Amino acid sequence: MQTRFFPAAPALAGGAGMACCQWLAYGYAPLEQTMGLAQKIFYFHLPVAWWCFVSFFVACAAAIAYLKTRRPAWDMLCAAAVEIGMVCATLALLTGSVWGRHSWGVWWTWDPRLTTTLILWFIYAGYVALRAMDMPPERRAVLGSVVAIAGFIDVPLVFLSARLWRSIHPAVFASRGGGLEPEMAVAAIASVLCFGLVWLALLSLRYGQMRMAARLDQLLLKNMSDDDLAA
Amino acid sequence: MLRCALAICAKDLRLVLTRGAGLAQALLLGLLLVFLFSLSLDAGERLSAQAAATMFWLASAFCQVLVFTLLYALEEANGARLGLLLLPAPIQAVWLGKAAVGLLLLLTAQAVFVPAIFVFLGQHLGPGWPLALAGLFLVDAGMGASGSLLGALSVGQAGRESLLSVVLFPLLVPLLLAGIRLTALALIPAASPDLAFAREGAGSWLGMAAAFDALFLAAGLALFPYVYSGED
Repeated sequence: MQTRFFPAAPALAGGAGMACCQWLAYGYAPLEQTMGLAQKIFYFHLPVAWWCFVSFFVACAAAIAYLKTRRPAWDMLCAAAVEIGMVCATLALLTGSVWGRHSWGVWWTWDPRLTTTLILWFIYAGYVALRAMDMPPERRAVLGSVVAIAGFIDVPLVFLSARLWRSIHPAVFASRGGGLEPEMAVAAIASVLCFGLVWLALLSLRYGQMRMAARLDQLLLKNMSDDDLAA
Repeated sequence: MLRCALAICAKDLRLVLTRGAGLAQALLLGLLLVFLFSLSLDAGERLSAQAAATMFWLASAFCQVLVFTLLYALEEANGARLGLLLLPAPIQAVWLGKAAVGLLLLLTAQAVFVPAIFVFLGQHLGPGWPLALAGLFLVDAGMGASGSLLGALSVGQAGRESLLSVVLFPLLVPLLLAGIRLTALALIPAASPDLAFAREGAGSWLGMAAAFDALFLAAGLALFPYVYSGED
């Protein structure tokens, strides 16, 4: 993924796209009647929340591929996707909290989507803690992959159980009635797509960094063993 | 595979019960949690059924972490993991055996926590207890399956209890929510208007616990060979 194309092309396209999305959010989409300007958070909150879930899906798929093939590249992709997913989840939680303060009068409340995102954040924080532990790289990769898979398959149950507990989240894309004005929907969808390019750029950048770090470690080990042989 | 799993279960049960120190620690920690939480109550005050059920499952979750850390430390302490790996059975037999013994130890610990909830948190047994008991077994089965899979993860690691807690607790959330709702059903008095509402939702929560069990039984079977190996 570290080529002449990645991550420069998606970064440039995503940057330009996100700039256009600002015009869509502030110039094209109408001002929401009850929430006013605070509703504009939504055009950032929705993309980061969606791409956070995509990140964890990619991490799960890469973890399965690693366990099947034992190729370190899959483990690096899994780790990179989790890290980017954690950044997106943190941003989704922060913006969701600001939204909640304006909309419901509280910084935090029990809501299936908010709670699911927070629990996902905790699950993958466990993954990051596991990877930070001092253990052989192969063992770390295997254990990390198992946690990434177990975490992702747990998501539907986390969401369903949180919804059974109680819910007050607005239905953004309602199937019948309610939902968004058409202009708002256009701005929201454009934001999601453009943020996808930024996400791709971040993922490929982090993946490239990890590959480079692994390569440097290999070179260091090789130099050390060469020096030992020379001595 | 089942015979090997039963043999592992019997071996671990004998080792834990004859040494006793590990299980006693888990029991004491759970009891302490319940007792310390009772300090938040004023004299004569009664905790809500849901809060008492939450304390019960919190104590059980900590107990689960200690139990599974202990079970996987048995082989590590004696350098006998390779011996277990050489069993003439699929490696999943180790997972199943440890899950079964973990489930038995957890049920033993809960037999102590239940009276503690009644005594320290001022609870009484309500008419919803049969459903709550069914829920308890389902939730404990899920805790056994997930604890046995992820308990193997911390094998040979420094700070393994904290690592296991950090990884396991978020995954357990759906199961703990089901456990809390179903246990609260047993603690709601017959005269309370909440009882009918709690009974109405019990089916969904039993389904949730069963789904979690199925998911982690499948995950244990598929993923355990990767977690429990000869690698350090």
